[in-house]
Amino acid sequence: MLAYIVRRLLQVIPTLLFISLVLYGLLALKPGDPIDELRRGNPGFTQADYERLREFYGLDKPWYVRYWRWLGRAVQGDFGPSRQFGRPAAQYVFENRLPNTLLLSGVALLVALVISIPTGVLSALKQHSALDYTVTVFNFLGVSVPIFWLGIMLIYLFAVRTGGFLPAGSMMTPGITGAWPVFVDRLRHLLLPVAALSSLHLAQWTRFMRSSMLEVVRLDYLTTARAKGLREGKVVYRHALRNAILPLITLVGLSIPQLFSGAVLTETVFNWPGMGRAIFDAILVNDFNVAMVSLMFISLLILACNLLADLAYALADPRIRYD
Amino acid sequence: MRNIMVLLALLSGLALAVLGGPTFNNLVIGATQEPSNLFPWEGAADTKENVMALFNIGLTFFDSNGHLMPGLATEVPTPDNGRVKVIYDANGDFVRQEVHWTLRDDAYWSDGVPITTDDVTFTFEVQRTPEIPVTTRSFSDLIEEIRVLGLKDFVIVYKAPNLFYANIAGAIGLARFYDIAPAHIWGPIYRQVMIQVKAEPGKAADIISGQLLGAPAATGVDPTKVIGSGAFKFVEWRINQFIRFARRTDFFLAPPGRAEEYVQEIIVRFIVNQPTLISALLAGEIDASDDIALAGQDPAILRQQYRLGTVFVDPSGFIEKLNFNLFASCKAAADLLLGDKRTRQAIIMAIDREDLAETVYPGAIVSNSFVVRGDVGFTENLNPWPYNPPGAKALLAELGWADLDGDGVLERLTEDGRAVKFELHWVSTTASFRVRTGEVLQEFLADVGIRLVVENLPGSVVFSTEYLNHGSECTWRGIVEYAEGGGTGEAPADPLSNELWAFDYLKAPLSQVSENIPLPENGFGGTNIMGWNSPQFDQLRADALREFDTERRAAIVAEMQKVYNVELPTVPLYERTDCIAVRTGLVNYRRGTPVARTQFWNPWEWGWEQNGARSVR
Repeated sequence: MLAYIVRRLLQVIPTLLFISLVLYGLLALKPGDPIDELRRGNPGFTQADYERLREFYGLDKPWYVRYWRWLGRAVQGDFGPSRQFGRPAAQYVFENRLPNTLLLSGVALLVALVISIPTGVLSALKQHSALDYTVTVFNFLGVSVPIFWLGIMLIYLFAVRTGGFLPAGSMMTPGITGAWPVFVDRLRHLLLPVAALSSLHLAQWTRFMRSSMLEVVRLDYLTTARAKGLREGKVVYRHALRNAILPLITLVGLSIPQLFSGAVLTETVFNWPGMGRAIFDAILVNDFNVAMVSLMFISLLILACNLLADLAYALADPRIRYD
Repeated sequence: MRNIMVLLALLSGLALAVLGGPTFNNLVIGATQEPSNLFPWEGAADTKENVMALFNIGLTFFDSNGHLMPGLATEVPTPDNGRVKVIYDANGDFVRQEVHWTLRDDAYWSDGVPITTDDVTFTFEVQRTPEIPVTTRSFSDLIEEIRVLGLKDFVIVYKAPNLFYANIAGAIGLARFYDIAPAHIWGPIYRQVMIQVKAEPGKAADIISGQLLGAPAATGVDPTKVIGSGAFKFVEWRINQFIRFARRTDFFLAPPGRAEEYVQEIIVRFIVNQPTLISALLAGEIDASDDIALAGQDPAILRQQYRLGTVFVDPSGFIEKLNFNLFASCKAAADLLLGDKRTRQAIIMAIDREDLAETVYPGAIVSNSFVVRGDVGFTENLNPWPYNPPGAKALLAELGWADLDGDGVLERLTEDGRAVKFELHWVSTTASFRVRTGEVLQEFLADVGIRLVVENLPGSVVFSTEYLNHGSECTWRGIVEYAEGGGTGEAPADPLSNELWAFDYLKAPLSQVSENIPLPENGFGGTNIMGWNSPQFDQLRADALREFDTERRAAIVAEMQKVYNVELPTVPLYERTDCIAVRTGLVNYRRGTPVARTQFWNPWEWGWEQNGARSVR
């Protein structure tokens, strides 16, 4: 097993190098560079200024030369400055963006999980009841309503129509201090984006939980459990749910990378400064260092998750051996 | 106790009403863009100019009537008050220009340090240090020397005429943002950085990016280091969220009445998504918008929706234009005869620009010039090019265009016998009003037999040098639409429409290759992306740039507009407007004339009527 892990870790290095080369090359293909952003809004900006600044930042070199230079510094942990925000790109991503994404996506994931499991179970147990039909209708709505539209509607209903009962966006109200006021303020700002972001997962996972539960409750071992005289609650939650939930765990696991990569639509609509929006904006305004550090981090995360998943299989299933 | 009150308010859902606006005597402004840093010498975008204006003031500023007023200076230098001298030799040739400035005795930095000529000379030293990536040196390169006459007096000597010697936004030749930077803050940082740069020249970019552009004085990480000369002082910057300023009690310009009756705190909230910003406005979370936030919005619709205040429309100083590819080397454009002025004239006549402006940019005024209304030399005495489809068709027929196959699209045979269809490519950004423009133009041009192929690309692509400046290589092959400054405040510093000249007649001998038309021979440099070359226009431009007498310059600028209006190297569509939402009770938050550049020119006068502030604008 150890040899396998070492081998896989060694494979990560060339994979990351290849990914970085492809990403850098793709970004370099896009017309424009950070100096073009300076040209706009500065009417006195001359060609001499343009060439001087391009040379200063090394942007006059071919993309592969720039890549090599970037790589040399990146392996030492220096991903260069963010042209958009005038600070180290890595610092900007990991201090200003990643925590926000983790907060929003984490809470949304948790909310979706906490609601979808009992709802799916109840819906399955009460199949064809009014509750089941209601849940099904909401599930279809959740799956089919675009998040950005739902977000706008939530803002309209709970912020605009109510004259600011809930915030229309952003993460905080300027000027609020003190632990409890700050906590409540963050909570208020989280409500609408979490509602929007969790809606899709909530609907999908409820559907999934319902069907998974429906399959399990018909199996013979549950009939046996009931025949043995076990209480219905124990039958459902100890025997049925534990088996029915396994596929959902896989599904939730697959959603974990999204926790870090951000949700660009929700972040945009609610002005939530997360990773998804950071990558999108960075590419649009030619802030390549921010784009590279974000995308490389996500790539690394996916590689790590894949490795962990493979190891988890081995731990879970004795038939799998990597040695 | 305050925290408990705030907590109760939060829990009852009234937080925003409590923490914003007249109740707290503060002002929350919504902006869609955020500055990259607060470094005085480098940067782009109007938002940085706006934010910097809250805690800085230049030697001068434009008021809402377009009058140039003294800021840090005791008076605006003019030839009349003897502060501007232009020296000519016996042949009448320019020798030098001297501008005498005096700093106010009561001008202090926000940390209480007096503003002196030490700050001026230091600012200029940084500006001309080759290693420092200042945004532009086009004006500082005109400076021969700065003569210090005392702690408050100095003379800037220009070696070439600088008509814009008193304008803000870098035209004086000092810092790009508000002219003078605090030497006691930036001096030690700059000296330390330069020592390291000299020691490791290969790492200059990294050192300067990290330690100068990324210094706490620029990023706001240490608020005590962010020092300005303006009416407010910096308090905090939560990146991607907001930036906050507090009123200074020692600022030399005062509002009418008691300063306590005016806003004591300004918060600029950054909300990048325009619909979200509008929602925050409608919900009362922000008290006002900046001049960019509501770009392209219909003021009539906003007025209907915004019940908490008023929506103003001010001229922006920008003219939306269709830029044609006039390069003979671009065969696709040349086949359409875009280089023939009759084609451009036919196109302008084919467009109902009144209707277009009303549809895509309500409130905008149709333009026939490259100069905006109110600026030096603006003239109405031009061909208004009214909507005239028959006239357009006649001109196109004269050029040999005819619908040969009856499909509604014009064709013609080229000299080498090829049949060419009039399929005109139009490119612009993805801004919603430009998307609508593409659709409207398609309809108008279809009526005269031109098929418009519409493409909307991200702004970073459209405005990239690789795309925009390579028209001679056909990167774009028809029309690119965008807006340009129409000779406003800083603006003839757009120096007399920087995008239209080809050869600089101020220089002798004349260059062999155009300095301003992007071509392979000049490394694709320049801003005349169309490739328009009019010796008559260039001569007039040079004459205007040499002319210090405003009336005589206005006459030359009027002549330039006549040449432009006939040749139409670009088709002017409309003068854009800025839509600004202001909550009821907020006074003096007005831009007025576009010459003012921003409505952030007078933050010391902003206040709430509810709190006793008086409206003077």
